[in-house]
Amino acid sequence: MNLAGSLLQGLVLLAVAPASGWFIKKMKAASQNRRGPSLVQAYADLGKLFRKNMVISDQASWIFHAMPIVLFCSTVIAAWMIPAIGAEPLFGFLGDLVVFVYFLALGKFFLALAALDTGTTFGGMGSSREMTLGSLAEPAFLLTLFALAYRTQTLSLSGMASRLSAEAPLDGLYFMVPAFGAMLIVAIAESGRIPVDNPSTHLELTMIHEAMVLEYSGPYLALIEWAHQIKQLIFLTLLANFFIPSPALSVASPAAALLAVLIFAAKVLSLALLVGWIEIHCAKLRLFRVPDLLGVAYALAILSMLGQLMMGSWQ
Amino acid sequence: MTPEIERLKQQFGKSVYGERAETGRLTSVSVAPEVLPAAAEFMARVLEMRFLFLAGFDERKSGGGFRLRYAFAHPREDRFLALAVQAGETEASFPSVVSLYPQANWQEREIQDLFGLKPSGHPDPRRLVLHEDWPAGQYPLRKDFPNGVKVPRRQGDYPFERVEGAGVFEIPVGPVHAGVIEPGHFRFSSAGESILKLEIRLFYTHKGIEKLGEGKSPREILCLAERVSGDNSVSHAAACAQALEALSGTTVPERALRLRVILLELERLYNHVADISGVVLDVAFSFGAAQLAAVKERLLRLNERLTGQRLLRSMIVPGGVHKDFAAGALDHLLRETEAIKKDFEQIVHIIWNSSSFLDRVEETGIIRREIAEALGGTGPAARASGVDRDLRRDHPYGVYSQLFFMVPVFAEGDVESRLKVRIQEIYESFKLIHEVAAGLAPGPCLAVPRPLAPMAHALGGVESPRGECFHWLSTDREGKISRWKIQSPSFANWPLIEYAVLENIVPDFPVINKSLNLSYSGNDR
Repeated sequence: MNLAGSLLQGLVLLAVAPASGWFIKKMKAASQNRRGPSLVQAYADLGKLFRKNMVISDQASWIFHAMPIVLFCSTVIAAWMIPAIGAEPLFGFLGDLVVFVYFLALGKFFLALAALDTGTTFGGMGSSREMTLGSLAEPAFLLTLFALAYRTQTLSLSGMASRLSAEAPLDGLYFMVPAFGAMLIVAIAESGRIPVDNPSTHLELTMIHEAMVLEYSGPYLALIEWAHQIKQLIFLTLLANFFIPSPALSVASPAAALLAVLIFAAKVLSLALLVGWIEIHCAKLRLFRVPDLLGVAYALAILSMLGQLMMGSWQ
Repeated sequence: MTPEIERLKQQFGKSVYGERAETGRLTSVSVAPEVLPAAAEFMARVLEMRFLFLAGFDERKSGGGFRLRYAFAHPREDRFLALAVQAGETEASFPSVVSLYPQANWQEREIQDLFGLKPSGHPDPRRLVLHEDWPAGQYPLRKDFPNGVKVPRRQGDYPFERVEGAGVFEIPVGPVHAGVIEPGHFRFSSAGESILKLEIRLFYTHKGIEKLGEGKSPREILCLAERVSGDNSVSHAAACAQALEALSGTTVPERALRLRVILLELERLYNHVADISGVVLDVAFSFGAAQLAAVKERLLRLNERLTGQRLLRSMIVPGGVHKDFAAGALDHLLRETEAIKKDFEQIVHIIWNSSSFLDRVEETGIIRREIAEALGGTGPAARASGVDRDLRRDHPYGVYSQLFFMVPVFAEGDVESRLKVRIQEIYESFKLIHEVAAGLAPGPCLAVPRPLAPMAHALGGVESPRGECFHWLSTDREGKISRWKIQSPSFANWPLIEYAVLENIVPDFPVINKSLNLSYSGNDR
């Protein structure tokens, strides 16, 4: 049962990932007096890409072919490492948070490499920007996780989530708020959303993530897009389970599992609402201002960590 | 004889001869080629005349050889002066004035490509309009070049200017772009994200409209003029109609002139709203962009209701306006513009309260005033850089001389200033529409067309949404159009972008480009 629950939990993340992106799209559409796409569209787009033929540059090496698979697999493994609905993560172990961060980084590394592979202008531009911002987002993300790990005295992601949700909300408010801010900024940067990147632009010169995948089509593109959506959901899930307190969830019985799924959905949607709200109310930052934003994330992470080191000892 | 010509004669003696009062506000005088650079300098430095554009003419049939006409505008009075210069037929060259007027750069290269006349002393004699695949010795605007033939293409390479150094690389963008826009190639040389140099290469869609217009009837010419640049149809048609009416000596009825002003301002409205919307969209502030796009759509529907055509085409005809507004249309116009103005005000308020938006447009893509003036920048782009110039006020046409309106000018020259100029002009346009509609007296709106005068030249000018738009028309012995020169504002403004992007970063290029919103079609013609 436990193993089945763990397996299922990852599969649910895979399945609902396109829906979380769709939700933000729908919000934006509403802000523009538009109706927006139906939920089916999010899946139909992926399905269409999976059925299409691919156009591949004759300059492409094995990296170009390997990237979508590496990216997708590493993201899926990362999805199976995080606490989501209440079951134990499939690949959870003590110290998994570092491995988790670097599974995401592995996908990013291959993505940037493959963008350089075909030698197109925009690909190189995209990977240079992605790596610049990634190198700033990564320490902020790690430090936030370490701050939370210090607070919960465990290095396992699921252990952190369960201890944080068991904590009285007001006790750790002082440390949790900066950590939340830091992780939210990292989440926005890593999932390529406004104000860092504009997922719906056609202006290649302004792109970051999209510039790297311009050469891809068909099933490869479907894998990349899907992995990107899963990554976005991973961040929303982590934020939801670390920072939104809720009763302990379990998948022991079908009824409990249903409740767990509902609570999980409510938490993730409320965060998607927040991300969408920011996206509606913000223009995209000038590229050279993005490091400032990530600097803020890093400072917030330090604040959370230092606060605990200095004040946590009196508790 | 105008005082300018008198001064020229005093200065250059017999080298200045054959002055002629052309139609309307235009006078022309011939200048010997050897004194042209000195005369041009005298015009600029001493007489303070403003150089507008340069046009080539093939007058070999009438025994005149190749001729160039340099159009100048009087700085304070409503007069235009053209310097006519004979280009040598044997050596086929003319003295370049680029060192004096940098804005003549593209003008002279265009004549080099289309007429086969060499601008001697031009610092950059590469091809411009006809790319390297065009065979040598074929000059489309010469009279002996038959229109409509397919010219075999050849191989050729265009040498881009190179920037070299550690870490400098080139980013080629286009000519085909991801959006539904026209073709143009942009070659960035950058170090990291900073742009060191931008070289633009346009004219992928040269349509030969000027050649096509030769020998056509006035109605046909206007139909072509409306298609020079789709979203500036009214402006091109109005400028061309002015020239046609000057050639035929037609007096346009007052009501038609007023209706034309309404059409011109309606065109300015939807263009400016669309431009602002485009800039807002390019910085990914989709909420504001969508609301502005809705305003634009409402304006287009208003256009359709008034004229039956969303882009206001087929309204302007030689001698007036094709058909009067339907009964009740004016009331609808006043009500609708009032409502649209309220909407627009609100949206602008929201956008200008967004600090993240302002951060993107402030100090982005600065065009300094000297650059704008030297390169002959025009329209909102020039007014945002402190160049206080507007044809509607300085050389009024239609009924603009009877109307009161402000010409907004800002000094910073950045994207934000260009937006602010447009916003202010939108408010002025609303005001103008109301004022003109209020003073609209019943009457005819079309004069009886008259034949064009033979062997005459006429100049029509309109301040289009993008800036000054001139149409020069010349007739032959039978009174048929023998030459049609279109000076579109985009042709004047495109070179500005190479300067606007300096000291900016690559991802800011789209928003700078959008803030200038230049027409490829109007440029390529």
